[in-house]
Amino acid sequence: MFYRVNMATLAVSKDDGAQYQGLGGRALSSRIVSAEVDPQAHPLGASNKLVFVTGLLSGTGAPNAGRMSLGAKSPLTGTIKESNVGGAMGNKLGRLGIRGIIVEDLPAKDTAYVLKVSAAGLVVEEMPELKGLDIYDTVAKLQQKYGEKVAIGCIGTAGENKMASACVGFTDMEGAPTRQAGRGGLGAVMGSKSVKAIIADDAGTQMVPFADEAAFRAGTKKLANALLTHPVTSQGLPTYGTDVLVNILSEAGGLPTRNFSSGRFEGANNIGGETLNATAKERGGKTGHACSPGCIIRCSNIYKDKKGEVLTGGLEYESCWSLGADIGVDNLDDIAVMNRLCDDIGVDTIEMGVTLGVAMEGGVASFGDGKAAIELIKEVGKATPLGRILGGGAELTGKTYGVRRVPTVKGQAIPAYDPRAVKGVGVTYATTTMGADHTAGYSVTANILSVGGKVDPLKPEGQVDLSRNLQIATAFLDSTGLCLFVAFAVLDIPEALDGIVEMCNARFGWNKTAGDYLEMGKQVLRDERAFNAGAGIGAGDDDLPEFFRKEPLPPHNTVFDIPKKDLDTVFNF
Amino acid sequence: MSGTIELRAFMGLADTFRERGWGNPRQLSLDGPTSGCELLAKLDIPVEQVEGIFINGKVSLPPVAVVNPGDRVALAPPGIPGPYRVLLGFKRKLPGEGE
Ligand code: SF4
Repeated sequence: MFYRVNMATLAVSKDDGAQYQGLGGRALSSRIVSAEVDPQAHPLGASNKLVFVTGLLSGTGAPNAGRMSLGAKSPLTGTIKESNVGGAMGNKLGRLGIRGIIVEDLPAKDTAYVLKVSAAGLVVEEMPELKGLDIYDTVAKLQQKYGEKVAIGCIGTAGENKMASACVGFTDMEGAPTRQAGRGGLGAVMGSKSVKAIIADDAGTQMVPFADEAAFRAGTKKLANALLTHPVTSQGLPTYGTDVLVNILSEAGGLPTRNFSSGRFEGANNIGGETLNATAKERGGKTGHACSPGCIIRCSNIYKDKKGEVLTGGLEYESCWSLGADIGVDNLDDIAVMNRLCDDIGVDTIEMGVTLGVAMEGGVASFGDGKAAIELIKEVGKATPLGRILGGGAELTGKTYGVRRVPTVKGQAIPAYDPRAVKGVGVTYATTTMGADHTAGYSVTANILSVGGKVDPLKPEGQVDLSRNLQIATAFLDSTGLCLFVAFAVLDIPEALDGIVEMCNARFGWNKTAGDYLEMGKQVLRDERAFNAGAGIGAGDDDLPEFFRKEPLPPHNTVFDIPKKDLDTVFNF
Repeated sequence: MSGTIELRAFMGLADTFRERGWGNPRQLSLDGPTSGCELLAKLDIPVEQVEGIFINGKVSLPPVAVVNPGDRVALAPPGIPGPYRVLLGFKRKLPGEGE
């Protein structure tokens, strides 16, 4: 079932979305945006649409199937955007039988609207008292009104102020807004439509129906077994979270430090997963936290301050890096304060950290000054002129301060892996339809896609093929509603992919092969490329900023040297 | 030629180092070139507990790694999230393992 909400008339309609049959998650959001949004539309204008969609497995109770996708034309990149998020919402929307909510047009009035969906349908409510509130206060007010069991996705002041780095914050299973649809500024699109929040109440719903429940359960078992036995998903992530990558990437010389001027950070261990885990234990916080129903990997965490008060949650590798190594800060408490501020104001932590790195290079503050960084993020919350520049993202900030080293692709900040030392991810940053995005190139089983084997991270050979295969597989996984982190087990345990294929087939009565699903992944990329071409963003934009090819990165002193003509072959399928 | 290496340990192995009262990093002397498996035996760390050995920032696998005095070395156990395991070379087939 699909709902359409017209913000100009506040009319709500319902249909079965026949034209979108067989699609979920990113495949669905990107198909809707490419079919219904003019690629030339202004991202904050009446012609852009904001879509919330569930994945193929949402609401089924499958392991780690709690993710959902938001889609629109991005104000940050001008490209199509799929922003994937965990938390409690995806499962509830799935149980409510909702495949998509499409928000159209612009409102006549400057106020705050709430879209509330339950078994009784979708209603639009006006709540002007939410205007001007940040995310934690918005959630508290909405929980007072609708109870603690509803799932909430909302914007803070950054979204209301239509800043290009604004995110949408979602509540986790405890009702704290620790999960974000972070990338690409979709919070600004939501703000342009004066939608302050979306709320799902699944009271009175049943488990979704299955075409073949026994086959579905058999598939579930295969994936669950793989997740529970693989060392990454059963030990590494639950114990240390993704932040365990700080020491690893620093050791590999690929942890961008002080605005991408070095690949190794002397303070890495202070901000890495080992320290995060020890701090959580010492202060009564938590690692091994599940952000969404059915998650058995539990990579998330709850971080407490020195007094034992909860400060923030979902402190990920990307945030510890961007608000840490990339600005030269090696103090986890400062990083946690910044993470909380970003989650509250409602800006993407990756974009914010990289922006601060660029601003520091431009002389706005000194590298390593965590307290100054905290104050700069507060400027974003106050929407001062400086705050608006920072909230506009790394590229805008680089231009404003005349900085040459600005790590962005298609206007979006490059995440936590330097492409000079991890060249495969560089190919993905350069070519993905989303603007620089590390999650666009996750992995699938080695023997199916010939992933792994001979690729040297510091050499150009083999990287293009690797990135292509990873991008296709990722586009499929992002369409299922599964958390991308299942890919860690899928890479090594063939039964995990079998399980995913069997669950999707048994849910809908399909008879598709893994190859068919990978074809779906290819089609997603074709849809997205076509939209981007219509928006004037083509193969010419598929490259990294010049400095990656010219400035050697210590300690390996390598540059990104994959020829542009090779990058242009990534989408040869 | 003998000399020392600077040795780090990550994830659960960092706990092992701490429990044994070792520094992290730890300075360790070697008599000369040492294989990955010999190094782990010398440290009394089972080979299964190490998926990759960083030598001067490049990943090698224990059976083929060779550590020389003067190297910066780090031990990474199984359980590190991919795809960086693939991209960094943890997921690399050993000679004779086939395609
Ligand atoms: S593995 Fe992590 S990101 Fe994925 S669903 Fe679980 S807690 Fe959320």
